[in-house]
Amino acid sequence: MHEFSLAGEVIKLARQEAEKNKALSVNEITIEVGNFSGIEADAFESALSLLSEGSILEKTHLNIVKIKGKGICSACDKDFEMNQRMGTCPICNSFPSEIKGGNEFRVVSLMIEEE
Amino acid sequence: MCETCGCGKPDGFTIHDPKHFHEHEHTHENGHNHTHSHDHESAHDHEHPNEKVISLNIDILSQNNIIAGMNRRFFEGRKVLCLNMVSSPGSGKTTILESTISHLSPSRKLYVIEGDQQTLIDAKRIEKAGAPSLQINTGSGCHLDAHMIEAALTKMEIETNAILFIENVGNLVCPAMFDLGESKRVIVISVTEGEDKPLKYANMFESSHVCIINKSDLLPYVDFRTEEFIKNATLVNHHLEFMTVSAKTGEGMNKWYDWILRLSDQVSGH
Repeated sequence: MHEFSLAGEVIKLARQEAEKNKALSVNEITIEVGNFSGIEADAFESALSLLSEGSILEKTHLNIVKIKGKGICSACDKDFEMNQRMGTCPICNSFPSEIKGGNEFRVVSLMIEEE
Repeated sequence: MCETCGCGKPDGFTIHDPKHFHEHEHTHENGHNHTHSHDHESAHDHEHPNEKVISLNIDILSQNNIIAGMNRRFFEGRKVLCLNMVSSPGSGKTTILESTISHLSPSRKLYVIEGDQQTLIDAKRIEKAGAPSLQINTGSGCHLDAHMIEAALTKMEIETNAILFIENVGNLVCPAMFDLGESKRVIVISVTEGEDKPLKYANMFESSHVCIINKSDLLPYVDFRTEEFIKNATLVNHHLEFMTVSAKTGEGMNKWYDWILRLSDQVSGH
């Protein structure tokens, strides 16, 4: 459900940037969604396509890049791919580890059409 | 249009003072039974000579986080301790707050912001317990955000050295993402829920500082194993602090009160 309010934020942001750059249109938007971001990528995509009707993003191609979770072991200091927020280090089997990546939820870039 | 639910209200949420309550009727005549489809058939199959890529790298929650930062500065400036209470519906947050208010006032000035989709039931309970409160009704929204708290703060006269409780919408998913500017996040779970909740709703447990395990008076009648629950929650967040309480009987509540008072003293520099 929160995907809707965040899709609204994305449209606002795209509108501001398009105006700032005097864009005729936004052809593509690239958004990173981390595994631990709390965002369901499919729900977000649906929310954005629903809300973008009549907006600057109505005809924009949405490019979602999913980012895998990454942990760093508190014991051996190695980093590893983490699929759940509770990773035990696969190298030395220690616990706990800290999350080092996968929280991303950001607009990476816009591809605009200039005058 | 409200971009939370598309309901047509400008902000999508309403704030009520339970002392000045009158009914508002909101109907959504063009309501939510339409569908949209988007086919982008013509995308990128033709030349775009004037195309340019703008690199942004902007966090989509940045607007919320900026306002949350402003709220946090407001609390720090007034030496106010702000606790964001999150949980599933029915875990006993309001009952915990009622007991806390009757125990800590009048030695401390306490305020409560209540978040629910609708009704003023909780704000009225809090007022009855003896603390000024405001009710935010989120409509279709599933969480409080920093902007709603900012709006509520302009309607409250919060004294210095006070304690503000924010009772978030009962939901273990969405509120996890939204920083409100709180000093600490408190997650409440009741023993009638499953021990595996922390594993299923990891984001919420990961973002909290303290976990209250409520309804301990029901432990003899349910299968909840406190140790197993703590083990699961620690897997997700090994910094989490636990308190087992019964807001109904008062068992274990002193530890919670002491924790609040200690923190409030820290914040106010006593």
